[in-house]
Amino acid sequence: MSAVSTDIDPAGGGEKKWRRRGLAALAILLPLTLAETSYESIREWLHGEDLIARDVEFGQGAPFGGSEWRLADLRGGKAGRLPEHALAVIATFAVTVGDPDLQKQWLGCKVMLTDAAGRRWLPDFISGVSLPDGVMNCTSAIFSGAKKGEIISVGETFIVPEDAIETIRPAIGLGSERPWFLRFQRPPK
Amino acid sequence: MRIRAIGNLLIVAATVVLSYGMQVSKPHYAELTAPIPIDGAMHDTVRARSFDVRLDRMVFARTLKTNQFGQERLLTTSGLWAVAATNLTATSTSTTVADGTWQGPTGLRYRQTERLSYRQDMPPHAVDPELERSGLFVFELPADQIRGASLLIAARQFGPLDAQARISLDAVPTGADGQPADVLPLYDLDAPAPPQGQTRQDQTRQGKT
Repeated sequence: MSAVSTDIDPAGGGEKKWRRRGLAALAILLPLTLAETSYESIREWLHGEDLIARDVEFGQGAPFGGSEWRLADLRGGKAGRLPEHALAVIATFAVTVGDPDLQKQWLGCKVMLTDAAGRRWLPDFISGVSLPDGVMNCTSAIFSGAKKGEIISVGETFIVPEDAIETIRPAIGLGSERPWFLRFQRPPK
Repeated sequence: MRIRAIGNLLIVAATVVLSYGMQVSKPHYAELTAPIPIDGAMHDTVRARSFDVRLDRMVFARTLKTNQFGQERLLTTSGLWAVAATNLTATSTSTTVADGTWQGPTGLRYRQTERLSYRQDMPPHAVDPELERSGLFVFELPADQIRGASLLIAARQFGPLDAQARISLDAVPTGADGQPADVLPLYDLDAPAPPQGQTRQDQTRQGKT
């Protein structure tokens, strides 16, 4: 402020010049302020949403959240107590643990199924359907104490309408990787 | 010079009046970020942002019967029990629908009852895209809050700027005293639901037997 007032030349056009500069500064400072104040919110939002898909071919592994993820199996059928026109789907991943700090790397782990229309199904409990032996869900895996190099099976059960079953693809989102998420190609028929 | 002074005074006075007006008319923050209502009627599918809801039937009763841990419980009230049976689906992503509010004719709002213990057909309702799921919302109300009421359904209780389905209950038949035409003496929440597609008249008849 003092620098500004010393520069003002009361006799000449100094005041006018500084007024103009002040106005021009507003045009820069206002958007900057807006960006600065909303930066944290935007960052937080981006880290909470699975927005950008990283596609992975079937049979291939992809590094994600410090580990290597590969779609091991995707199967669907009538089982347990289901609503009409719906099928039970079990998606299983084989994960080679890299960074064993899963509680940090896999926080907010979300396994989902996506279809061609962009709809998403989250895991459901189906009475009468359980995961195959040796397969655990993502939350259990986080607290399983898996060591580096260990290969663990992570899976979830879903209820999906019959008409979506043809195009569903399993996907996985992790807190440490958002807004990116992995989307796997289906196994060939 | 005097004119200029008066002019300045007028400008100051006008600014004070304008500022005061803006201050008193400023909406409360809760109003600015309130849920956005989406209107609909009974038996219509109301499309909120993250879910679709259809109110299939309303049942009013003096007493509710429910099973709690294998024990039968009868819940009485000095007012009325209102049980809203809805059909819910998610629009694009699996989500939960948890909040139901009864808005009476004068704007009084009633939250869902907390007297019922956990039941599968009570909120929060987990809903998936394209998979219909039936869900109940149960309220304990004074009898004069039925006519002209609305049922408000939202994903969460505090969902700023999120959609809220506002279903008008004008289709509920009421008597001259404003009370519902059909009030069951006892309603069993565990009785099997009537088949889909039944009309309201059928329901009423069933209720009377």
